[in-house]
Amino acid sequence: MSREIDAILLEEAMLSLDELARSCRVSREWVIEHVQWGLLPDGDRLQADPDSWIFDSHSLIRIKRIIAIERDFDSNPELAGLVADLIEEIELLRARLKTSGLDGY
Amino acid sequence: MEFKDYYQTLGVSRDASADDIKKAFRRLARKYHPDVSKEADAEHKMKEVNEAYTVLSDSEKRAAYDQLQQRGFQAGSDFQPPPGWDANFEFSGRGFSGAQAADFSDFFAELFGHGMGSGTRHAHQRMRGEDHHAKIMLDLEDSYHGATRSITLRMPKLDNQGRPVLTEHTLNVRIPKGVHAGQVIRLAGQGGSGHAGEPAGDLFLEVQFKPHNRYRIEGKDIHVTLPVAPWEAALGAIVKVPVPDGLVEVRVTENSQSGRKLRLKGRGIPAAVPGDLYLLLEVVLPPATSEKAREFYQNMARELAFDPRQHLGV
Repeated sequence: MSREIDAILLEEAMLSLDELARSCRVSREWVIEHVQWGLLPDGDRLQADPDSWIFDSHSLIRIKRIIAIERDFDSNPELAGLVADLIEEIELLRARLKTSGLDGY
Repeated sequence: MEFKDYYQTLGVSRDASADDIKKAFRRLARKYHPDVSKEADAEHKMKEVNEAYTVLSDSEKRAAYDQLQQRGFQAGSDFQPPPGWDANFEFSGRGFSGAQAADFSDFFAELFGHGMGSGTRHAHQRMRGEDHHAKIMLDLEDSYHGATRSITLRMPKLDNQGRPVLTEHTLNVRIPKGVHAGQVIRLAGQGGSGHAGEPAGDLFLEVQFKPHNRYRIEGKDIHVTLPVAPWEAALGAIVKVPVPDGLVEVRVTENSQSGRKLRLKGRGIPAAVPGDLYLLLEVVLPPATSEKAREFYQNMARELAFDPRQHLGV
């Protein structure tokens, strides 16, 4: 019998810049640049020291998505950001459709 | 093990140029992109396409693979790599990560997996294990009550002879109460193993809910349709409603109509700031299938002088 493992909600112990970069296998600079270009949420953190930045579930999922789009399509960061925006918007609208009972799936 | 035809997967010919291969990959990446694809099984297809591209986009891997095809292996034929097939190639573990390779087939692992997992490449380097990322599908009820769910992951490992194999690895995960779709949970030390005494990486699981036949979920809020009889909607009533964490009694105010929404504050997903539960009233008419029911409707028509289309001016 394998033992039970506790899962921790990311919101309860958010990722630091270094943890996020390592986890997604990109450099610190890659993350900092993408934050500076406004492609990651909470651009207002720019004022603070990058080592004090923290990243939640939404940031992690979005960053992984942008990395995949840039890699798979050799896309520039702005285009990857735009695609990520559209995907998030579609997810939101699909959820709304579902809650209104208007979806076909 | 089955031989895989990577050219067939990408839909290109054996003499396709690097540029053609890239174009074919991008076209398929668009078609099967798991976030937007309408294709059934898009996620699995995308993995196959990624695997084929990882091999065919790397000139050394491609050359080694081509050499195998020239020996007569075809898609689906039973495959064991001939001894020394890769003697002239030096591509161990390059161009992909162990976590990525966990998504790939046994066929790929057999051919190109020598640098995976606790492999040889970094054995002498002090290095923390890689983080792994995956998804987990939960029932809405898991979030209300907390739950233990087992998930099975494929992990690259080396066997006794030092050959890479993909092993299945089952974890019993205690799901924190109040988690909702789009959140990530973290399992410390359950990623790739570390090298030279360094700690293992972590496993990150993105939470998704399975569709529920009664509840519709939007973030932390839950929506449910509440059917009511015409007299309950008209006269007001207290009705019992099953909700994910039990049963509640709800007051339907008099003169309610279909489409009215009732909000039960804090009865949505029990996160740190809990979501709300919305009840969407739906007035359901009793069928006029018996003589008695028909009589009731005829009486209503006569006595109520009700015109629902008055505002349409007809």
